[in-house]
Amino acid sequence: MDKLQMSQMLRDMLRARAFEEAAAQGYAQGKIAGFLHLYPGEEAVAVGVLHAAEPGDYVVSTYREHVHALVRGVPAPEIMAELHGKKTGISKGMGGSMHLFDASRRFLGGYAIVGETYPIALGAAYAVAYRRLPEAVICFFGDGAVNQGTFHESLNMAALWKLPILFVCENNHYQIGTEIHRHSAITEVYKRACGYGIPAEKVDGMDVLSVHAAARKALERVRSGDGPQFLELETYRYRGHSMADPGSYRPSVELDAYRANDPIAAAIHEAESGYPSPEAIAAAGPDCITLFSAHCCRENHLDETGIARMRQEIQTEIDAAVRFAEASEEPDMETAWSILHANRRYETLMESPE
Amino acid sequence: MKNPITMPVLSDTMQTGRLTRWNKAEGDPVKKGEAVAEVETDKAILDVEAFTDGFLGGPLADTNMDIPVRQVIGYILDQPAAAEKTGDVVSVQPTASTPPASPQPAADTVKNFENPANPAPANNHDGAASASVPPRSPTLSPTSASTTASAAGKTSPYARALAEDLGIQLQQIAPGPDGQIHASQVLAAALSAPDVDLQMGPPYQLEKPSSLRAAVARNMTATLHTPTFLISSRVALENFQKNCKSKGLSFTLALGKACALTVAEDPWFNHAWTSQGLAKRQRVDLGIAVDTGEGLITPVLRDAANRPLPELAEDWRILLGKIKKGRITPSDYQGASFYLSNLGIFPEIERFNAIVPTGAAAILAVAAAGQDGKTDFTLSCDHRVIFGADAARFLQRLGKRLEDSSWLQ
Amino acid sequence: MSEEIYYWQALNRVMDTEMAADDSIITLGEDVGLYGGTYRVTEGLMAKYGEWRVRDTPISENSFTGLGVGAAMLGLRPVVEIMTINFALFAIDAIINMAAKIPFMSGAQFPMPLTIRMPGGVARQLGAQHSQRLEHTLMNVPGLRMVVPATPQDAYWQLRQAIHSDDPIVFLEHELLYFSKGMVDETAVVPPIHQAMVRRPGRDMTCIAYSRMVLVALEAAEQLATEGIEMTVIDLRSLSPIDWETCVQSVQQTHHCLIVEEDCRFAGAGAELAATLQERCFYFLDRPIQRVAGLDIPTPFNGKLEAASIPRTEDILAAARRLISSAGDQS
Repeated sequence: MDKLQMSQMLRDMLRARAFEEAAAQGYAQGKIAGFLHLYPGEEAVAVGVLHAAEPGDYVVSTYREHVHALVRGVPAPEIMAELHGKKTGISKGMGGSMHLFDASRRFLGGYAIVGETYPIALGAAYAVAYRRLPEAVICFFGDGAVNQGTFHESLNMAALWKLPILFVCENNHYQIGTEIHRHSAITEVYKRACGYGIPAEKVDGMDVLSVHAAARKALERVRSGDGPQFLELETYRYRGHSMADPGSYRPSVELDAYRANDPIAAAIHEAESGYPSPEAIAAAGPDCITLFSAHCCRENHLDETGIARMRQEIQTEIDAAVRFAEASEEPDMETAWSILHANRRYETLMESPE
Repeated sequence: MKNPITMPVLSDTMQTGRLTRWNKAEGDPVKKGEAVAEVETDKAILDVEAFTDGFLGGPLADTNMDIPVRQVIGYILDQPAAAEKTGDVVSVQPTASTPPASPQPAADTVKNFENPANPAPANNHDGAASASVPPRSPTLSPTSASTTASAAGKTSPYARALAEDLGIQLQQIAPGPDGQIHASQVLAAALSAPDVDLQMGPPYQLEKPSSLRAAVARNMTATLHTPTFLISSRVALENFQKNCKSKGLSFTLALGKACALTVAEDPWFNHAWTSQGLAKRQRVDLGIAVDTGEGLITPVLRDAANRPLPELAEDWRILLGKIKKGRITPSDYQGASFYLSNLGIFPEIERFNAIVPTGAAAILAVAAAGQDGKTDFTLSCDHRVIFGADAARFLQRLGKRLEDSSWLQ
Repeated sequence: MSEEIYYWQALNRVMDTEMAADDSIITLGEDVGLYGGTYRVTEGLMAKYGEWRVRDTPISENSFTGLGVGAAMLGLRPVVEIMTINFALFAIDAIINMAAKIPFMSGAQFPMPLTIRMPGGVARQLGAQHSQRLEHTLMNVPGLRMVVPATPQDAYWQLRQAIHSDDPIVFLEHELLYFSKGMVDETAVVPPIHQAMVRRPGRDMTCIAYSRMVLVALEAAEQLATEGIEMTVIDLRSLSPIDWETCVQSVQQTHHCLIVEEDCRFAGAGAELAATLQERCFYFLDRPIQRVAGLDIPTPFNGKLEAASIPRTEDILAAARRLISSAGDQS
């Protein structure tokens, strides 16, 4: 892996975290409403997988998808505007936090019903396979989604017809508040794929380089027509399920395990209702970003000054995105109707009354 | 077991009946066939018979209210009802389901109206006031308000809109058989003559006409579409009258018999024009107009041409008796095929003409004898059935029959 | 040019000609391929177009309907067959949460040229689980459109139009209509897909029906005519959107409206029709709008009870007579 690519990956991880910090802040200030599911802790997954993707690949994501969209290349201002429900949002204010779509970047959307990403990916992959194109479809889902019927239905069909899908399980061990041992008989998710004969692998989702390597290898096989591949990426979200969730069901020892041995940071996190401070996260230990920036420095690809400068640039970008979102216009009802009826614009539904 | 007593259907035209009195009180034992109540219909007062043994049970319908046929007016119980004889009134809604003959609620049959000096413009086109007379004060009385509510529930939206377009006040429209006003009722009202406007005249009282009078009004209105012509002759009746007297015969009855015989000679006078065709009747049923003091009734002598005079005379006596007692039934007064109206007892009346009732082709009007000793006979004919020359010949034959009354033997 | 064919043949013919003309059209569902479709609609297509275009799926309604959604997002024009509407309950998420929402939630970034075919209705003693009418559920979903052809000609026209549409369209067939025959003119001028049609004009009252009930209503109208009652029969042809103009015009002329639906009475299409028509025609109504509908009961297996649970000709006759007669029973 070259220096440039590493620094781009680190940059995206930092962007991701900064973006979510800004979103949390906007939410706390009442500028963003609705459900807001944040990604901190899991950045290595999105960045590792999506940096291995080609522009021709398709991405299907969940309701925790700001970072997937961001890393896929959707401009931060358009995502932030969508979170604000503005006309300039990537979905014109009709989707919101959980429904970011970008056709031009082949980002097939965020889906808010758990288990919906499989059939969408299945259909996209079917179209790709039917056209015999060297493209892959990346399908994200969480560990909670593997108990939905569509998981089994879709894995079966994907395997049966050798569809070009990379199934990516972001295993953060929780379906909202229910820990994986309480929701799944088999807690090693990748083993389920074996039931359908889909090659599957479990990878450390906190290590962006491992994720990237595994994803690249899997995607190559997918594009070459080998059929679906399956990655289980073990990761952890620092925050609750959504902004409404304090995450207090998680024992602090568990947080500790993921944040090295700094009980103070964990205590701070538990006490805070807002977003954990960068310092708190940085102090928490083997955070994926901390790990990776350390790695970059070790490899002499980057140094502390470079990273500081990078953070500075990112903060400028995200601040601008927030300003753009806040300053943008709200959509009007007329726009909503024209969006609803956009696909019928060339049709005559019935005779217009004379 | 509780068997309902319903307002009986006593004629084909009867839509409502007015309960005139209860012969029994609640709890009284009743026998099958016994008259438990009296009902005034179009033309008569009739018994409401018990069709089972038992005890009269309430709630009993109020008397002096028009009640739609088939509506429950009381009950016959297997056993006497438990002690209390409540003053409960059957929940008949005379104003709601009865076609009112006049605009005001039937419950109070008489209403006084003092016309205001400056009649206020009617400010509610949808019949908010209880009568067509503008209310005296802008606030409606509770009674009239409830009338509004019930009227509002009984007019279809289309009928309402139609009435508004046609400028017809809803309270002037008689509801249909279901008690509701639909478009067809509005159209019928639009085509009928406008109601009289009494507002500028002297103060007046509104009174619901008796059933008999209302029926006459209805029947007479129905004759408006009959194309009628009149034809008269003068007949010397002196001998005939003497002859009757000597034989102890009623003059009117004998005159009727003469008419019946004449009708029998020319069956066209026994036909009737109907929408389905010409009705040719197989016998002459003669209707003779009788003044009851309350109005007009036409008891019928069946088969008057063929049956002997003494028999007819007996019928006639019975019919007059029934009229006197108010016991005449529809089968007594409906369905004549020829009519006779004799006003000869009024010597001042030189001549008059009668209206051909529906269901007949002609009616003969007989006035009093004139100075010359001759009596004016005016025959009104339905021109769809009878032509002028036929009528002339009819009068000719009748005249001969009366001048030479040997047939009376 | 016209030819008398079965309803299923009309559908089959459209599939064939459209698939021949456009390789972005695929069809999938249970037994649509080798077997030829349980009602023969896809007969012969697999041999002609291959398994990638005519795909036999596992019994996974939710995911194969969702597959149609995903493929439509990439520009294919999938025709998904759900064997009966009863199984569509498994696919409700794909239909309502995905197909109906994606074009809107994405701010119109994605087309959804998806046709979902399925038969509904009460057939012959299939029991409560196989005799459902769920149009009330689907017609209520913004973003979905639903057509309900009653004749082979409409089946022909409307399936073609549905396939060509970039909106998701639920194409509701009826198990008892597949083997009904009718003239199909492939060259005739095609009416707009959602336009209602007056099948029989009549001055006295307006009967609005859809799908198989149109045929039942027409039978009743024939009988009523011999009694001197002239009943207009409007075939809605579409439940979403509804061609209000045609209905309103007729009701304003006849002042009497009778709605016939096979679906259960409670909160069904008839309720929507009655509500909107009274809003739009209130001052033209001479009687309350009447509904003849399926009973609010799971369809009994017993044949006689089953028949009595949905509108029959005599039910329509009785309601029509009540509506017209001056003694109108308004119950």
